[in-house]
Amino acid sequence: MEHTLLLNTSVLLTLMIILTPILLPLTSKNFQNSPTTITHTVKTAFLMSLVPTTLFMYSGSESITSHLEWKFTTNFKIPLSFKMDQYSLMFLPIALFVTWSILQFATWYMSTEPHITKFFSYLLTFLIAMLTLTTANNMFLLFIGWEGVGIMSFLLIGWWQGRAEANTAALQAVLYNRIGDIGLILSMTWLALTMNTWEIQQAFSHTQAPTLPLLGLILAATGKSAQFGLHPWLPAAMEGPTPVSALLHSSTMVVAGIFLLIRTHPLLASNQAALTLCLCLGALSTLFAATCALTQNDIKKIIAFSTSSQLGLMMVTIGLNLPQLAFLHISTHAFFKAMLFLCSGSIIHNLNGEQDIRKMGSMQKILPTTTSCLTIGNLALMGTPFLAGFFSKDPIIENLNTSYLNTWALLLTLMATSFTATYSLRMTVLVQTGSTRMSSTTLTNENNQAIINPITRLALGSITAGLLITSYTLPTKTPPMTMPMSTKTAALLVTILGIALALELSNMTHMLTHPKQNTPLNFSSSLGYFNPLTHRLSSTNLLHTGQKIASHLIDLSWYKKMGPEGLANLQLMAAKTSINLHTGLIKTYLESFALSILIIILSLH
Amino acid sequence: VGQRAMAAYLTHQQRVLRLYKKALRHLESWCIYRDKYRYFAVLLRDRFDKNKDVKDMVKATQLLRAGEEEFWANQHPQPYIFPDSPGGTSYERYECYKIPEWCLDFWHPSEKAMYPDYFAKREQWKKLQRESWEKEIKQLEEETPADGPKTEALPPARKEGHLPPLWWQYVTRPREIPM
Repeated sequence: MEHTLLLNTSVLLTLMIILTPILLPLTSKNFQNSPTTITHTVKTAFLMSLVPTTLFMYSGSESITSHLEWKFTTNFKIPLSFKMDQYSLMFLPIALFVTWSILQFATWYMSTEPHITKFFSYLLTFLIAMLTLTTANNMFLLFIGWEGVGIMSFLLIGWWQGRAEANTAALQAVLYNRIGDIGLILSMTWLALTMNTWEIQQAFSHTQAPTLPLLGLILAATGKSAQFGLHPWLPAAMEGPTPVSALLHSSTMVVAGIFLLIRTHPLLASNQAALTLCLCLGALSTLFAATCALTQNDIKKIIAFSTSSQLGLMMVTIGLNLPQLAFLHISTHAFFKAMLFLCSGSIIHNLNGEQDIRKMGSMQKILPTTTSCLTIGNLALMGTPFLAGFFSKDPIIENLNTSYLNTWALLLTLMATSFTATYSLRMTVLVQTGSTRMSSTTLTNENNQAIINPITRLALGSITAGLLITSYTLPTKTPPMTMPMSTKTAALLVTILGIALALELSNMTHMLTHPKQNTPLNFSSSLGYFNPLTHRLSSTNLLHTGQKIASHLIDLSWYKKMGPEGLANLQLMAAKTSINLHTGLIKTYLESFALSILIIILSLH
Repeated sequence: VGQRAMAAYLTHQQRVLRLYKKALRHLESWCIYRDKYRYFAVLLRDRFDKNKDVKDMVKATQLLRAGEEEFWANQHPQPYIFPDSPGGTSYERYECYKIPEWCLDFWHPSEKAMYPDYFAKREQWKKLQRESWEKEIKQLEEETPADGPKTEALPPARKEGHLPPLWWQYVTRPREIPM
């Protein structure tokens, strides 16, 4: 019994600690926020959040707090109901840990920024919205968190608002997320109409659902988690500063869509059509993103496409009806992806803003700690045995292999896994090894606690997180135990194949053959031609249709054709047909008289 | 000093040199390793040098056109762009911090009182600018030809004690990296 009180208290205390830097400057006059106070706040909140997580691990106690309502008017209230189950209790410390490391890194990275406190407050607001989303027990509160992370993403991507590409990227993020929101609102409406509730307990205990609201939820996840079709905003979101990319677009915001599907999985579990759609969509996204990552030369874009690919893999896991495994992948992915972004941020800043891997080389000698952690991150990403990624990626591939579902999805996912190894190795080779291709006058210095501590902390997390999480949580479904040796080692084999491919290609780049454009290179470099096709074609068609409606429909049709001109045309047509009758001969006129009198007599009869 | 003004068209020499530089930059994007790049760069230079002494302009223009088409076919889809160049990753990044200097006039007097000598000196500079404005405009009106200026370059000050035209805009321009 005492567990529940302690659990509830510590969770609410954690959430209140996070809210302090936002609320205190409003209440007291003398309190000024600063980057270090915000970092220490998040660190305190992380340590506090370890209490409920350990309680959950050792006693299995979950908690639901319902019916605290924030009444605005008589009819409009926000139901503050929080659900502390295994997903939100595990996500809370992981998100806080990653955010703490990123904020500490950002004190160095953004130190020359004039509005650094505003930047940190934006990141904190984003964190609050994300935690609202994950701990929400009510779809309305989840929607508030959902929109909150979307808005903060817009503000943070366009942080340097003088830059045109940053503004277009921020708009792109908002618009693509909006299209996904249509789906979410559709599902929420269906829930409100049929179940008359938005509470997750009541709504999702019902196990049968028609396909339409599930399609809405999948559309929402496609928009937020950048699946194929609504994916272009994620690579474009790299216009924001690196801490933003590390926090939002790798660990926390983009997993919100997958998190939604995990929360609503009781509805999805019975509908095989929706599950198959998730599976195929995820497989397509993961392969497409991995293909695009192969030829990118900007280090942040490579990691962005890698994120997109892993999100596709999470969607595949949802399609296999394994929400807990998807959540495990979210947790382990957060660690090594945030670390990859922080390492790339350290490299970029040390090279004075250089982001192109063609101008980096031999970073191992210049920035040893950063590159060691980059290597650890890449190994974890590839699913090296017993690092963090292995505990989540390998079971996904094993489950995919031993299930009786879509073979095509299986093939795509395996290809994407090997491409993951290829582009990770390409990035490693071009950035870390060889002789240096950067300007020899740049001074590099990574010997700053604000860089080393976060990166090594996250490296420790990448190595141990998988083991720790799987040791202390009980699986809800039994994993497949028996399978042939080839199936068991399938993921490892394709990864080794990908590494061999990368090594062969890097050998070829040293040989003296003049490189040329070819079709696969062009497809991959221009991101599958998706961006120009959708951004230009659909908008020009829409604008043309609008112009036709404005000019032709109103002006031409209503004012001319329906009115005077149309009438005149009708008259002219009638006159032209009857002009042959006006011959001038009396016989014709007498015949027409007789005909009309006959018709009148007959009709009166 | 010694510079030609820009004309409305490019000379043949300018076009050939631009093609050569573009080709070298794209070659650098293709051949990442320096020794391989140097090998192909030397071959490219040799191709340009072979046709260096062609005196027939028709043939030279045809060669240039063929070269441009070959460049278009062989260009790199993601050429290397320096971070501060247009299209680069940190181009215009600090544009939002480049505030014009007339905003200083809108400061509250209590804020201006925090930097008294700076604002006093600024008043002197502004007085100088007001005095020399008429003379700058007069000089520009005299020196501009009747059908509009031929070039964007501003002329220097011609008379003793005058300041160059539009000097205030140049002197109060924001810093490149305004931090």
